[in-house]
Amino acid sequence: MEEILRKKAKELLESGEVKVVIGYGWNRQKTRTSPVFITDAADSDRLVWNPLCVNNLSVYLTRKFKDIQALGKPAIVAKGCDIRNIVVLITEAQFKREDVYIIGMACEGVVYRQELWKGELKPEIMPTKCHNCDVRNPHLADFVVGGKSSFTPPEAPTGMVFDKIKAIDAMGQTGKWAFWINEFSRCIKCYACRQVCSLCYCERCITEKNMPQWIETSAHPRGNLSWNLTRAMHLVGRCTFCGECERACPVNIPLNLVNQKMIQVVKDSFDFRSGYDEKTHPPMIVFSPDDKDDFIK
Amino acid sequence: MADRILKKENLGKLVASVNDKGGRFIAPSLDARQVVFKDVTKAEEIVTDYILARNSYKEYVFPQTEVVADFTVEKHGVDLKSREVEARETVVFGARPCEATSLSSLRAIFTWDYIDEFYTKREATLVVITVACTKADEACFCTTVDLSPETRAGSDLYLLETESGDYIVEAMTDKGRAFVERHKDAFSEGAAKAKTLVMPERIGTIDLEKVSARLKDKGHYDDQVWARLTRKCIGCGACTFVCPTCHCFDITDEGTAFAGERRKNWDACQYDTFTLHASGHNPRHYQYQRWRNRFMCKFNFYPGKFASKGCVGCGRCIRVCPVRLDITEVMEEFSR
Repeated sequence: MEEILRKKAKELLESGEVKVVIGYGWNRQKTRTSPVFITDAADSDRLVWNPLCVNNLSVYLTRKFKDIQALGKPAIVAKGCDIRNIVVLITEAQFKREDVYIIGMACEGVVYRQELWKGELKPEIMPTKCHNCDVRNPHLADFVVGGKSSFTPPEAPTGMVFDKIKAIDAMGQTGKWAFWINEFSRCIKCYACRQVCSLCYCERCITEKNMPQWIETSAHPRGNLSWNLTRAMHLVGRCTFCGECERACPVNIPLNLVNQKMIQVVKDSFDFRSGYDEKTHPPMIVFSPDDKDDFIK
Repeated sequence: MADRILKKENLGKLVASVNDKGGRFIAPSLDARQVVFKDVTKAEEIVTDYILARNSYKEYVFPQTEVVADFTVEKHGVDLKSREVEARETVVFGARPCEATSLSSLRAIFTWDYIDEFYTKREATLVVITVACTKADEACFCTTVDLSPETRAGSDLYLLETESGDYIVEAMTDKGRAFVERHKDAFSEGAAKAKTLVMPERIGTIDLEKVSARLKDKGHYDDQVWARLTRKCIGCGACTFVCPTCHCFDITDEGTAFAGERRKNWDACQYDTFTLHASGHNPRHYQYQRWRNRFMCKFNFYPGKFASKGCVGCGRCIRVCPVRLDITEVMEEFSR
């Protein structure tokens, strides 16, 4: 797969069809992958593909990265789950479908965190999203690398995240409150969750608006709660459960639980799952005359 | 000559002695599946099998958020009352030799053009007990910045683990000696054999002097190398918050329109609002320029201004980075 990927990247850069290929490369010790930006066809061999390619590179397509946008049309190496984020970005008019060349990677799963890698991809080191993945064969791509995956996701979603959500739902209001206050108390306000998220692309985040200061920037329980709730609410109906925020969190806040819970609520209320169709707008940004609730009519 | 020993069964006695005398005992312990520095009251909470705590102990001299003043808005002006720091003995147990040296870097900045009492009063009552490393990982690079597990600078007590899990204690400073005297019941005398220390391999392709020289030469400033190596930076503050020498803070007011608190909060040069001017202009427009600033701070501004180090090679920034941006890869590039 790696060879085909490199050849394609080379071809795209040589023909001038794209100006930069956003993909994965090795770190110096060749123990971890890290994003690379290939602008010279001769560097295409730096691209790698393996189960350590966890990052969702679609974040680099957003307007947060003006220097990358200035390079010209990008090609992006993307797994099915990453493509779901690209789809959301297109539905939210961040760019047009033809503005990005998607090199879709057929995927058999990645590791939850790179440090767990011991040379073999075992189910226990894969994140919940991989166990329930229905996009192992990229659903929107200009070119697909790799053969068809025969994996079919289980009918009822399985995995640690789903089990934990059930347990938290059973806690009752006081229990839930105590659980989340405790988890959020560790927050250090580094905003890695926001920065790593391709759907958090506001140029001015509400935390940075200080006239008035909507969100307290201090890392005390009140400030941490208001930040984490705001982040969650702004992703309702948009989040694809790519898991980048939880992976990036330096203090292990289980953000996947928040995100998956929101996804379940949106699915139940609107029968919508984000990131599958670039022509359907997310439920929170459309008005439909057929809306089943009548309070807005 | 007999060594001074801290037996593992006496660690609890030491914790209790510090707590009983009104002090705080900070040690690596488990929190949400991570080893972190936090208050402990029992020896059982202390973790001994770790490389470095996830957080730096700087938060005990420079808290992430603290109230520096209270204000009320009166009819004819503002009434501002400064807070006083009431520091008590704070013992950090299980620091590593690399991060022990970081205290002199923090002191340099907080006593440079203004004496920041919120820092100095806390530092005066801080006792750093270092445990030398018997483990390292691929992110450790202390030896590359001329430190090592044998470095004793910055430690008040320097401890070597023994095969049986006890510690051989070396008192390095007056503060350390006074600490041993104050809690002498926890220490004993004896002879023991220390475990072998683990030295991270020095990265041969890095030459610190060349890095500094190249950064002094202004020609590097618009070099494309910054964009090439660091445009993947996503602009979170994780590296600066876990860094033992990063020290930037922001002042913010919280409360109502009539009364509230003035707080000093950690800030990070990696945020785009860090240098955003009121006019809307941002001198560090792109993320890689912000990253360049952090590197410059550590390897040019610090060595140029102070005798202490800007980077101690603990590797926390490498471990925590969501895109695995490795500072040593940039050091390597600037050693050419």
